Amino acid sequence: MSAHDPDQTVVRLANRIGEFFAAFPDQDEAVEGVAGHIRKFWEPRMRRQLYAYLDGPAAGAGLGALVLAAATSHRAMLCPDAQGCGTRV
Amino acid sequence: MHYTHPSQIMDEIASLTPSFAGVSFEKIERLGSVQWPCNDDTDEAGTAIMHVGGFVRGKGRFLPTQYVASDEKVTRRFPLILTTGRVLSQYNVGAQTRRTENSRWHEEDRLEIHPHDAEERGVKDGDWVGIASRAGETVLRADVTERVQPGVVYTTFHFPESGANVITTDSSDWATNCPEYKVTAVQVSKVTQVSDWQRGFAVFSRAQEGLLAKAHAGQPEATR
Repeated sequence: MSAHDPDQTVVRLANRIGEFFAAFPDQDEAVEGVAGHIRKFWEPRMRRQLYAYLDGPAAGAGLGALVLAAATSHRAMLCPDAQGCGTRV
Repeated sequence: MHYTHPSQIMDEIASLTPSFAGVSFEKIERLGSVQWPCNDDTDEAGTAIMHVGGFVRGKGRFLPTQYVASDEKVTRRFPLILTTGRVLSQYNVGAQTRRTENSRWHEEDRLEIHPHDAEERGVKDGDWVGIASRAGETVLRADVTERVQPGVVYTTFHFPESGANVITTDSSDWATNCPEYKVTAVQVSKVTQVSDWQRGFAVFSRAQEGLLAKAHAGQPEATR
C-alpha cells in the first residue's frame, strides 16, 4: 500500500493544504497561503523531501496545481538548504 | 546543548522567538511575572491583555473556506464509520484514572453498535467482535445500544489493550495535522478470540509488569 510511502505522504499532506487555499478568490493569495503554511509548519526534512520529489524522476507527479505553483515560486523561502533544494541533480 | 542552568534555555528561546525576546529569568525574578508577547514593542512585563482594540495582525480577518472532506470513505468492505471518544470517569488515555476506583464505572472499552447493525452481523450484547479497518484490526466486546446511529460504531480509548490506535488511520487535518480519530471506515464481525496484536500486547504487558515487580522487590521500602 502507498499509505506509508514517504513521498506519497508528502504529496497527500501538501495537497490537503492546497485544497484549503483553493477556496481563496485571489490566486496569488492562495499561492502565498500554501507557501506560508509550509514555511511555518513543515520542518526542514519535510521541505527537503518535497523538493527531492519535485526535482526527482517523478517530477512532482500527483501534486496539485496550487502546491506546484507555491513550491516553484517560493523555492528560496521554502528550501532549508542555502545551496537550494534539488539543484544538485 | 551544554546548559548549566534553566535560564540559559530561556535565553535561547528568547533569542529564537520574537514574542519571547524580552523574557529572561532575571526579569521574571525582578517583576514576579511576565506575560508573553514580551519584547521591545510591549510593556516591560509583556502584554497583560491581548487583542485590545485589534488582533496581532490588525483587524479580524474573514476567509472564504470550502468543506474539505475526510479521505476516509466507507465502502462495501468497510461499511461502518468508527468514531472514538472518552467517558467522563476516565481521563484521556486513562493512565492516571485507570488505577483508581473510577474503573468500577468503566472497566473496559466496548464497541457501541446499533441494534440493526448488530442483528445483521449476528452480534449480541457482550459478544466479542472484531473491528477491521484499512490500518489494522482489534477485538472488543459489543455494547448493543441505540446511543449510536445505524452505520456508526463508537468506542473509547482508555485501555491500551483495546488497541484503538491499531485501527485508526494516519489521516490528519491540513492545518494542524491533528489525527482523524473520529472517522475510520471499518467492518465489524463476530469473533471468538482477541486479535494477534492484542495477544502480542498481552505478552509485552505481562513482561513489563514482571520487570516492575522485580525492580520494586530489589528496592528498600523507603524509596518505593
